[in-house]
Amino acid sequence: MLEVKNLTKVYDDGTVALRNVSFTVDDGEFLVVIGLSGSGKSTLLRCINRLVEPTDGSIIWDGQDVTAADPPDLRNIRRKIGMIFQHFNLVKRSSVLTNVLSGRLGYVTPWASLLNRFPAADREAAAKALERVGLTEQTRKRASELSGGQQQRVGIARALMQEPSIILADEPVASLDPVLAHSILGNLERLNQEDDITIICSLHYLDLVQRYATRVIGLRDGELVYEGTRDEIRSMTDDQFKQIYGEEAERITAGSIGGEA
Amino acid sequence: MSDQITTEAEKHSAKRGAKSKRPDSGDILNRELPSLVTPTVAAVMSAVIPGLGQMFARRVQRGVILLAGAASVIGMFVWRFRILGERAEVPGWPVFLRALDRRPWFVGFILVALVAIWILSAIDAHRTAQRPSRSGAGAFLAIIAALFVLGWQVSEIDVGTAIQRIPDALPPLARVIWPWEAAVEFEENEVGGTAQILVSPEGMIPPQVDPQPGEPGVTISPRQGTLASQNLDGNAGAIGNVPGTEVTVSGFGFEPSTTTEIRWIDQNGSIFPIRQGRDELIVETGADGTFSVIFTLPFPLIGADPEPSGTIHQVQARQVFTGEATASRALLIIISRMVETIVLGMMATLFGIIFSIPVSFLAARNIMSGSRISMAIYYLVRFTMNVIRSIEPLIWVLIATVWVGLGPFAGIIALTMHSIAALSKLYSEAIEGIDPGPIEAIQATGANRLQTIAYAIIPQMISPFVSFSIYRWDINVRMSTVIGLVGGGGVGFILVQYVRLLQYRQAGIAVWFIAITVALLDYVSAEIRNKLA
Ligand SMILES: Nc1ncnc2c1ncn2[C@@H]1O[C@H](COP(=O)(O)OP(=O)(O)O)[C@@H](O)[C@H]1O
Ligand SMILES: [Mg+2]
Repeated sequence: MLEVKNLTKVYDDGTVALRNVSFTVDDGEFLVVIGLSGSGKSTLLRCINRLVEPTDGSIIWDGQDVTAADPPDLRNIRRKIGMIFQHFNLVKRSSVLTNVLSGRLGYVTPWASLLNRFPAADREAAAKALERVGLTEQTRKRASELSGGQQQRVGIARALMQEPSIILADEPVASLDPVLAHSILGNLERLNQEDDITIICSLHYLDLVQRYATRVIGLRDGELVYEGTRDEIRSMTDDQFKQIYGEEAERITAGSIGGEA
Repeated sequence: MSDQITTEAEKHSAKRGAKSKRPDSGDILNRELPSLVTPTVAAVMSAVIPGLGQMFARRVQRGVILLAGAASVIGMFVWRFRILGERAEVPGWPVFLRALDRRPWFVGFILVALVAIWILSAIDAHRTAQRPSRSGAGAFLAIIAALFVLGWQVSEIDVGTAIQRIPDALPPLARVIWPWEAAVEFEENEVGGTAQILVSPEGMIPPQVDPQPGEPGVTISPRQGTLASQNLDGNAGAIGNVPGTEVTVSGFGFEPSTTTEIRWIDQNGSIFPIRQGRDELIVETGADGTFSVIFTLPFPLIGADPEPSGTIHQVQARQVFTGEATASRALLIIISRMVETIVLGMMATLFGIIFSIPVSFLAARNIMSGSRISMAIYYLVRFTMNVIRSIEPLIWVLIATVWVGLGPFAGIIALTMHSIAALSKLYSEAIEGIDPGPIEAIQATGANRLQTIAYAIIPQMISPFVSFSIYRWDINVRMSTVIGLVGGGGVGFILVQYVRLLQYRQAGIAVWFIAITVALLDYVSAEIRNKLA
């Protein structure tokens, strides 16, 4: 169980990105975070693994205080939390295999990994992960040679290598077209149902939210303004939607390509 | 070099931009402020002092530019005149007449241009005072034309001489273009034999020595004689040369029908040709490989008279055959200097890389934007690098030769300085261009700092780093040939020497090697960079 308590983030330039946000995530949930661009979704996800240092509040994961962890502990926490990104964040010049293997960096002996040496078991696991996302053929290619959808699947395989309990996904389909969006979210759903990995995912399109979420939280200007179950989100009206997204927002569907990222 | 060119171009466009803007903003002001004088008065003013009328018509900038232009035309004109009219005894008219006599077209054109400048600026003043927006560019064009003609004269452009001298320049140029005759030398194989002769009145007469089997033999008879000498004994009245003993030298076992040199070897081993009259003594062997020749003994090289007892000299007969072609000394020197040049470029690149990697981090905004102190360091490093980069490598060589003396090391220092400045700029831009996404992603896996550098940062930097470095090596080798010209070692250094000694063939070989090396390197570096891209 992940508990976020009174989380506040103020950036160096004074921007208040999160204001006193509290919620909990139970194991096995597919939690979707919604909100306008700039509402603090990315900041929230990055606070959970402390890629962004929270200003105030605490994050407790299975009884361990993430916010208080020292660097070695933090690395041990991070390696159990996979993360995938809107822009995939692969190392473009490295091979697909190297990108996937880098998911093991938190586990292997550091000096060996600097020489690009990984245990045989890890290499096998990498092959399996690539098979699972359907990219066995691309193993030796450079990441930059892959299409967007393929790159995101490499991102998922990299996260899988961490044997994660949680996967944080920051708008994982915002750079992809709708068909690919379903394919990627389908992958995440399977990890959620078959491997029992908790998913915390920010999404933009309401119909995707309704299709995949088991629970939804909504952010607006850094504040938590909505919390709803699967059923509540399925019956969500445009008015409620507007409350979260602001008056000017229309109901956006995945059918409209190239929505705001 | 190329960044230099862009900055020049930028400066120019910036200047042009400024110039074309200012008169416009002037127009806007002037539309509201009428001329202080009537058009006629303005024209008269400008007919006296170009630009004065424009100034009173409230177009001060235009007036100032006209005045400055006319003044510089006159200034340069007077200066050239005094040079052209040199040696005219009386200053004044005679100087002018002499100049007109020497360069009638030039002087004539400038006079016409001056008149045109005055008239046009008067017309311009009239128009400007009337309707500021409609004044033309005529006066300025006249000034520009005059300045260019003066420039032609100042820079001593002399097309006539260039054409006239073409026939003289062709032979040496041909040697530079096709220098390969100087690239080979032929080995000399010689066969020969010697015979000994006693040249002092006393001492043992040397025995006749039989040749080694297979070698030719030489005999001399008689085996004792006196060298030629100068009779300085004025009392005897016989002042003049006393010829040496007449001897017969015969040889056998030589190559038949081949030119054979006869040479003299004195007691110290000095070898010199025997001269009969003006010519050196050369004989031709017969069909049986023998010869026989009669001559008188030569003067001693350093003469004692008579020679000390027991002094033995030798006569040598030898035949020289040209053997295999081998690389000439010049070729070998040039090759070794070429290698020196390439290595020089490599070392300078290596040092450049080593120094510029740390510097590039200090000059990368994204790395240094953390605090005020680091930003101060960033600006300081950037500024220093800009200063170093703006100093041409040729000037760095001059500085370095003062410091460490002529030679390749000075060249390395010069190129290293320039490489550091150029590379650290390119590297720091590569660092600034790094995608932070992968860094974040690798950190999120639980990687430590070193792992993050190895997996997220280095892979992103390696390709621009390698490609910039190879490009720099390419530039450095190319530049090191130039740097040699001013004392920085390498092939350029020796090229200058050959040119000064008028050894055009050797110079030509050096030029060829430079051209080939640069072309190859250009190709290789482009290929590698393409592969990496
Ligand atoms: N590194 C940063 N420094 C300063 N302000 C930031 C930084 N990152 C994000 N912000 C600001 O914080 C707010 C929340 O941003 P973000 O978490 O990226 O929102 P979202 O992901 O919902 O678009 C925005 O106003 C954004 O401009
Ligand atoms: Mg975001």
